[in-house]
Amino acid sequence: MKTNFRTAVLTVLIGAGTVCSAVAQDATTILQKMDEVMYSQKDMTGKNKIILIDKAGKQEIREATIQQKGTDKRMFRFTAPASQAGIAFLSLPGDVMYMYLPAFGRERRIASSAKNQNFAGTDFSYEDMESVPFSQKYTPKLIKTETDAFVLELTPKVRSDFSKVTVSIHKEHFYPILMEYYDRGGNKVKEAKYTFKKIGNYWNPAEIEMTDLKKGHTTKMQMTDVKYDTGLSDDAFTVRALVQ
Amino acid sequence: MNKFAEYVIKRRWLIVTAILLITIFFGYQITNLQINSDIITSLPDDDPAAKLFKEIGTEFGGNDMGMIVLETNDIFDAEVIDHIRIITDSVRFTQGVSSVTSLTNILDIKSSEWGIEIGKLVDEYDLPTTREELDSLKAYVLSKEMYKGAIVSDNATASAILFTLLPDADNQVVAKEIKTKVEKLDIPEKLYFGGLPMMMNEINNLIISDIVRLIPIIFIVLLVILWLSFRSFRNALLPLLTAGISVIWTLGIMSVTGYELTIITNIIPVVLLAVGSAYTIHVLNSVSHTLNHDKRQAVIKALGYVTIPVILAALTTAIGFISFVFGSYLLMIKDFGIFTAAGTLIALLLSLTFVPAFIFVFSNKNSNKNEVDNEEKKTFLTHRILLPLSRLLFKHPKYTLGAWILLLLIFIIGIFQLETSVNMADYFKRDNPTRVAEEMMQEKFGGSLPIFVVFKGDMQSPEVLQMMIKTENFLKDDPNVSVAQSVADLIEQMNDAMGEGRRIPDDKAKIEQLWFLLEGQEVMPQLVNDDLTKGVIQSKFASVDSKDIEAFTEKMNRFMAENNNANCQIELTGMPSVYVKLNSSLINSQYNSLLIAIIMVVLIVGAILQSFLKGIYAAIPVIATIVVLFGFMGVTGIPLDIATVLVASIALGIGIDYAIHVITGFNHYLTENGDAEKSIESVILSSGKAIVINVFSVSAGFLVLLFSQIVPLQNFGLLVAISMFGSGFGALTLLPIILILVNRKRKITANNHQHLNLKK
Repeated sequence: MKTNFRTAVLTVLIGAGTVCSAVAQDATTILQKMDEVMYSQKDMTGKNKIILIDKAGKQEIREATIQQKGTDKRMFRFTAPASQAGIAFLSLPGDVMYMYLPAFGRERRIASSAKNQNFAGTDFSYEDMESVPFSQKYTPKLIKTETDAFVLELTPKVRSDFSKVTVSIHKEHFYPILMEYYDRGGNKVKEAKYTFKKIGNYWNPAEIEMTDLKKGHTTKMQMTDVKYDTGLSDDAFTVRALVQ
Repeated sequence: MNKFAEYVIKRRWLIVTAILLITIFFGYQITNLQINSDIITSLPDDDPAAKLFKEIGTEFGGNDMGMIVLETNDIFDAEVIDHIRIITDSVRFTQGVSSVTSLTNILDIKSSEWGIEIGKLVDEYDLPTTREELDSLKAYVLSKEMYKGAIVSDNATASAILFTLLPDADNQVVAKEIKTKVEKLDIPEKLYFGGLPMMMNEINNLIISDIVRLIPIIFIVLLVILWLSFRSFRNALLPLLTAGISVIWTLGIMSVTGYELTIITNIIPVVLLAVGSAYTIHVLNSVSHTLNHDKRQAVIKALGYVTIPVILAALTTAIGFISFVFGSYLLMIKDFGIFTAAGTLIALLLSLTFVPAFIFVFSNKNSNKNEVDNEEKKTFLTHRILLPLSRLLFKHPKYTLGAWILLLLIFIIGIFQLETSVNMADYFKRDNPTRVAEEMMQEKFGGSLPIFVVFKGDMQSPEVLQMMIKTENFLKDDPNVSVAQSVADLIEQMNDAMGEGRRIPDDKAKIEQLWFLLEGQEVMPQLVNDDLTKGVIQSKFASVDSKDIEAFTEKMNRFMAENNNANCQIELTGMPSVYVKLNSSLINSQYNSLLIAIIMVVLIVGAILQSFLKGIYAAIPVIATIVVLFGFMGVTGIPLDIATVLVASIALGIGIDYAIHVITGFNHYLTENGDAEKSIESVILSSGKAIVINVFSVSAGFLVLLFSQIVPLQNFGLLVAISMFGSGFGALTLLPIILILVNRKRKITANNHQHLNLKK
């Protein structure tokens, strides 16, 4: 009886251990799959519409073209409104970023020592705009499985403004549906809602709606005219191309 | 009058029960009473400077600016900087905080040959640690005007962490939470907490602890004095009971009507305890003077004698309070006027209904004993002090009058020394940590009084931005302004970083594009509004001296008048502007409310006594008292501030009562026996006693305020006590002399007439 009991306990413990590690494995795999969905394309071009919505509901619309090669080369050029048309940002590997202001007719290298700052008045931080895989930045844990989504809790691997991020990932297609950011005080401060559409072989974030809950400010980024893997050349990502 | 008294006696049970029930109701309501120590909410909306200040404060989050200062030998030490980061974080993650700015998270625009960096002064995730890094940061910070004297003191021994609160946050709750949280961090460096939210939180704490500590003391002091005077427990307790009930009703009404306790209205209980007891004292005094074996007849007769003077006394006191409604600048002083007046009338009502009813309900059995007591008491105060006093007056009326005139002349000289003070830090005692913090912030960080220069126009136009720079330079020419910050500074720095020099570009397109890079920076909402039609220069003023502030405001007004145009409208607001208004309003409101009160009192007393002259006589001892009061303030250097500005009208309201009692008593006895000198003697013996008791009890009540932790309240208590002695003494010496002299003259003329008639 005694032996049986010990065996039973051991079995349960070992079983639980296996289940736990399976779950952990699962969380890592799920996050890696999400990274794959988001960052596997060779290159991408498209139009970006940025809608800024303030607390009072007032909207401001900006438009830009976007070109991206791999995960670390990106050209972002504003086309509207007129006062901002032509302003461009070029991101290159190794955190190198150049900016072009047409009114000054010259480029400047720009460094942002703090990536937690917002990008050009949006609710996206410079960090949000990068294409660094999530599995590089966060340790995932599966906290719940919903009918159509896995919910992971991500803990930052390096020091961050956030204590944790929870992300709901589509069960079948592995794109993110909702991300919720918590500050170090444990308050939810940011929320991103994703709408993905299939374009060719890839899932494309047709709209990302980012809300700064503290400011009550929302930014919607809508992608249109998206083309994947058109074979963009490296020449499109040079200072010369930036200045045109 | 007799009918009224009979009705009260007949319905005594109903009256006592109804009053107790109402008291229970209001007592329950008091539990909902809120405390608001925010002086800004008390600024009137009809004053443009105050209105603008409130608007700007809400729009740009600046008037709710708090400050934590960390002091040590050298700020540029790895550990110290880490502590600053920890405090910054702890404040940032507090509910209700809108923004935090400190050494570890402040915006920095760096330019070099290779480019531009818009980021933070230090990376909060990679703080400088080596001596070399720290020294270079120190040199950089002290070389930049944006930081030196703003977040790091000139000698690098102190660093400020500034925070603003969300407009809908409860300032005191947030301030309190921040203080508790930061203190819990147990940082070894010395910490100071300052700025308006912190000061208000501190005042709030002091108010609560004052109320809790002082009110029971006042109650006990009054009880002891009343017992010593009446030697009857009932007669000592009843005045306090009615005053206490009127306090409960008044605070209950405040709560029901949605008013809050402020640093001024919180003295309502003290004032009402002291003032409200007077009417009951007079009623009781009259009852025990009316010797009659039939209790019912005694009370009816006593009420008949005392009702008119008591109503007059309460009415004039209430007018003294109501005069604040017309004369004062701060809403909380108006509230004080309204509710103290209401409380006074409640106390009056109770003294004429509750008191006689109560006497009848509870003390039928020992009425005989009371009378014996009364006989004994007569000899004590009256025959030792008051009788000799009245004899003296008859012997040398002109000397006494001369002495008064000499005294007043001396005090009139003192009046010219009278000063005003509106500085919030002065409300705290010298050793109070909040005051110490304010003084250190004044010394090291250019003070904590926010100044805003508001610009209306297109914030992206070169013209407006250039005007902002010009204004900033003009501001900084003033010795009391050391820091100023605006969006124009940032545009200049950005332009410099683009390689075009430290100036505002002439081309609007350039400004728009530089602006684009600044968008979303945490500091922007503190500098410009959303639709870019309004911007502010945020600055601080270091001096709290009224003269400095006035000189500065005047200079700025001239500058703005010269530079205002259709494309760029400039306005100045901020605490200094409000202080200037407050300061001039102190004198104005003092003048206005006193004038209103004196005129009203003279008219009412004159009307009821059916003689304008008597109205003026009644005012004489009170006006003399006011001269003594201001003279005393001038000589001792007690300034006119938001609390002491109340004293003169209160002194007038209470002091006039003494004069009214003397005049009505004099009339009463004069019609009874026709001899002026005998009448004066009778008045001094009867009303004089009530006056002396009242002076002592009211003064003792107010003197308890000396133990208050808020300086203006201490002064307030002392000054009211002095005024009470002044007006009591005036009513018992100056007024009788005037009445004697006037009546002598009248007698002589009357005699002359008789002689003439005889001759005919």
